[in-house]
Amino acid sequence: MLFPEPMTEVELIVPSKDLLAVTKVLGNRGVFHQIDSTYLGLENLGPNTWQEKAAAYSTLERRIQVIMQNLNLEEKYSAVSNVDSISDIEPLQAAVDRIEGEVKSTTDQMAAEKKTLEQLESQLHQLEPIAETNVDVGALRKSNYLHSVLGVIPAENVGRLETSLSRVPHAFFTLREDPKRPVVWVLGPRSNSDVIDRAVKSAYLNPLTLPEEFEGSPAKVTESLRKAIETSKQRISELNEALGKLANTHKDELYKLLWDVHVSRMIADAIARFGQLRHTYVVVGWVPSADLDALIQRLKQASREILIEATSVEPTDHRANVPVALQNSGFPGWFELLVNTYARPRYEELDPTVLIAVTFPLLYGAMFGDVGHGLVLAAFGWLLKSKRVPALRSMASLGGILIASGISGTIFGFLFGSIFGFEDILPEHPFFKHFFWMHPIKNILITLAIAVGTGIVLLTIGYLLNLYNAFRARDWGRFFFDSNGLAGLIFHWSFLGIFASALVPGFPIPTIVFVILAVVSVLLCVVLAEPLRHWMEGHHPLIEGGVGMFIVQAAAELLEKVISVFSNTLSYVRVGAFAIVHAGFTNAVFVIARLLGGGHESGFVYWAVVVLGNLGVILLEAFIVFIQTMRLHYYEFFSKFFRGGGSAYEPLTLSSTPEK
Amino acid sequence: MAGGVADYAAISARVRAKYAELLTPQDIVRLSEAPDFLSLFTLLKSTAYGPYLEGLKDKDINPRRVIIQIKRKLADAYNSVIQMAPVQTRPLLKQLYRYYEISNLKAILRAIVTVSTWNTETALWDRVRDVLFPMGSTSVLPAQAMVESGSVATAVDLLHGTPYEDALSFAMKRYSSEQNLFPIEVALDLAYWRRLWSEAQKLTGQDREHSVRIIGSLLDMNNLMWAIRYRVYHKLSEEEIINYTLPFGYRVKDADIRAIAAGADAASVVNRIFPGLPDVSALLENPQTGLPRLEVLLNQRIMKECLAAFVGSPFHIGLPLAFLIMHDFEIQDLIVLIEAKSSGLPEDEYRPFLLKTELLTEH
Repeated sequence: MLFPEPMTEVELIVPSKDLLAVTKVLGNRGVFHQIDSTYLGLENLGPNTWQEKAAAYSTLERRIQVIMQNLNLEEKYSAVSNVDSISDIEPLQAAVDRIEGEVKSTTDQMAAEKKTLEQLESQLHQLEPIAETNVDVGALRKSNYLHSVLGVIPAENVGRLETSLSRVPHAFFTLREDPKRPVVWVLGPRSNSDVIDRAVKSAYLNPLTLPEEFEGSPAKVTESLRKAIETSKQRISELNEALGKLANTHKDELYKLLWDVHVSRMIADAIARFGQLRHTYVVVGWVPSADLDALIQRLKQASREILIEATSVEPTDHRANVPVALQNSGFPGWFELLVNTYARPRYEELDPTVLIAVTFPLLYGAMFGDVGHGLVLAAFGWLLKSKRVPALRSMASLGGILIASGISGTIFGFLFGSIFGFEDILPEHPFFKHFFWMHPIKNILITLAIAVGTGIVLLTIGYLLNLYNAFRARDWGRFFFDSNGLAGLIFHWSFLGIFASALVPGFPIPTIVFVILAVVSVLLCVVLAEPLRHWMEGHHPLIEGGVGMFIVQAAAELLEKVISVFSNTLSYVRVGAFAIVHAGFTNAVFVIARLLGGGHESGFVYWAVVVLGNLGVILLEAFIVFIQTMRLHYYEFFSKFFRGGGSAYEPLTLSSTPEK
Repeated sequence: MAGGVADYAAISARVRAKYAELLTPQDIVRLSEAPDFLSLFTLLKSTAYGPYLEGLKDKDINPRRVIIQIKRKLADAYNSVIQMAPVQTRPLLKQLYRYYEISNLKAILRAIVTVSTWNTETALWDRVRDVLFPMGSTSVLPAQAMVESGSVATAVDLLHGTPYEDALSFAMKRYSSEQNLFPIEVALDLAYWRRLWSEAQKLTGQDREHSVRIIGSLLDMNNLMWAIRYRVYHKLSEEEIINYTLPFGYRVKDADIRAIAAGADAASVVNRIFPGLPDVSALLENPQTGLPRLEVLLNQRIMKECLAAFVGSPFHIGLPLAFLIMHDFEIQDLIVLIEAKSSGLPEDEYRPFLLKTELLTEH
């Protein structure tokens, strides 16, 4: 749980005759993360025929989908849910050709009829606005002095068309308002017909074009158009019936064909990424070590001559290409979102999800310590997680985090004796008073000191985790000389020691000891870190860019290190500060409530302000505290030990229901 | 404010981290010093593009494959930013990303039109897919089916239900009568920028302010370049130029576009809007080389607008937008370098077209 799932690199040499059986096993198990191994193949074997096959299956799949769309069939597979085998393309193609042939004539007629209907409706749409006018439509085109264009235009182009006509005299009418396709009529002198034509054309106006048979006044033409539309609709309805019959005849065969082609395409796609040798194929990928034995057993059943080489990966192997499968389920799994937002852990490094599942609610609760507010937040988290409110479904992944943070806030609420801002109820209650610890606002210095102390503990844990990661990766340069390594840790503690010995009377260790330790450690982890690491790793030159540059760089890094140690530690003051601010905020709510309630602590106005004020505080603090907690983790804690950059584990799955 | 902070805390941290991975002007200079394409490829492998180039087999190390691979990094950046962005800003980011889809769509249509002139030994799709931006499953284009359909009309029919259907329904009428892709491409561009501008306008507060500034600057550059090109190269009439451009922008106003369309001195219009641009008149005198150079200068202005988004409060959409645009500029620089190195162009011929190094020179 603390580390990504152990992975084993698997290399298979598969005899050509067993290729399909082996691919079928790999796909069915759903545990094999495939690596493109075509580069391991021989290049003089000619083009990869599997790529061509995959493309052919893909085209066939698309054709089946189109037929299903034309027949109004829902796209689904036949009842078979497991991978059977790759199917020969010729019989599949023949079957698709046959069905397509049977369906094609009807669908072609349907497409043509729909186009006709669309055209007729468009003409009617354009003519309807002038249906009442007593003008011969044909005569408009033959006018000696006027040039007019009537047509449909994209709504967003209307304004631009008017602008473009501004240099010539014209009349512009929007005959029919429509959010997408309004009908407009442009009139101008025939002498400007070239300008008008260029303008309407470049504004994408589709001019009304009436067939010869439509003559006379607009009223007469619209009447004829309506009749033609009715006939066309009748024809479409008949064609739909015919298609329905075809759908009933062919649907089972189409579902089966779609499944066969889909599986064949996926298998061909997978095989196209195998390395092809003369009589064998090389398959490379990763498998979770726990699933390896079962997979090997199935592979050997599928091919007796298969050669399997499994190489388990040591944690020291920091190759970037080991896919990372995280193992967080249940409560820690809620916090994977926060870790992945920062970065996906690398294979060799510790997965901080479990840690953040503890520290995030801890810090959040300390800043949001109130029994009532914590319960409200937890309830809201539950509401998100349960996905009961459609509008909040997109935030469901935050639900678990809010539940944990709300519960933590409730626990801290008991410790701080606060419930909806009432600071006296819990400490005076005969039972709950046993859980009461202190009011942060009345113990400001202690609260801030504890917050800084917690920060020091967390930062130290961060350093130790970095040491552990470096040790695990056998990266000794990082272990000893990284600014977050051993020397960095000693510097951090020496730095704190200097303050402690100077400020605490009777501190047992003299300041000079810490000063010496701080100077030595900062030299090791900042000034000399790079040459020392180069020396340990056998790299030359020890100093890159010359001594002058080295000194300037070292001085800047030294300053940055001192400031960051100071700011990292003090950053945790905010935990205490927010605990104090919380009490301050709620106190302000009660003061306002008393003022508006006429000086009384009762009455509708008083309680309304208390309720609304509490809601405001919950809303405001829930957001701000979330950000602050994230900040403390991302900037202060994670930066000490967590590098990230791992790649995701995406197993090959040919079936929608893998056996596992 | 609290909402803004909550919305942007994670994404601004992530974007800043990714921004730090972008190449610096010095990096670009270092890359441009590579003696040839293979050396440039080796240098690129040591940058943040390394993971995208590592998988290339020796036989695939050619400019076309390398360009596709480096574009994958930008595609990943878009996907990651869109996924992390606050819900209300995603339509804007998705629309911005659609720019590459429109380029793919144009490339597909051009391929269909020019297929007869191609060597037919290689399948058309195999040739086309290598020039498409690698959008992966986020694209709504049935690219292969479109290419294999063999005709523009059938390919456009396959776009039923996509955001391009409306714009194409009008443009196709023109294509049918003119058999020229120009009206289709213009309609796609206009619809894209209208939608992008409208998505920016829908935002509120700081999101709106920053997105209008950044998107508006991009729009200004495009609108201005369209107007000038339509007049200089295509010799279009005033009314056509007006209809093929947009009446809004950040600095460029409708009156400016109309002035260029009506025949006003384009250089003085450009100088009035962007004072300080070096000798625009000279650039426009020789449009063949001058217009690309003017585009570079305007892009550098946009770059500055993007850099400004990284100053001050980080809790707004300006940061992710600026990062994505800067990333795109970086890819443009790398493409210039890859093409220059592979064709052995001397440095003084390609250097003026590098965006980042020009900024370095200015400073």
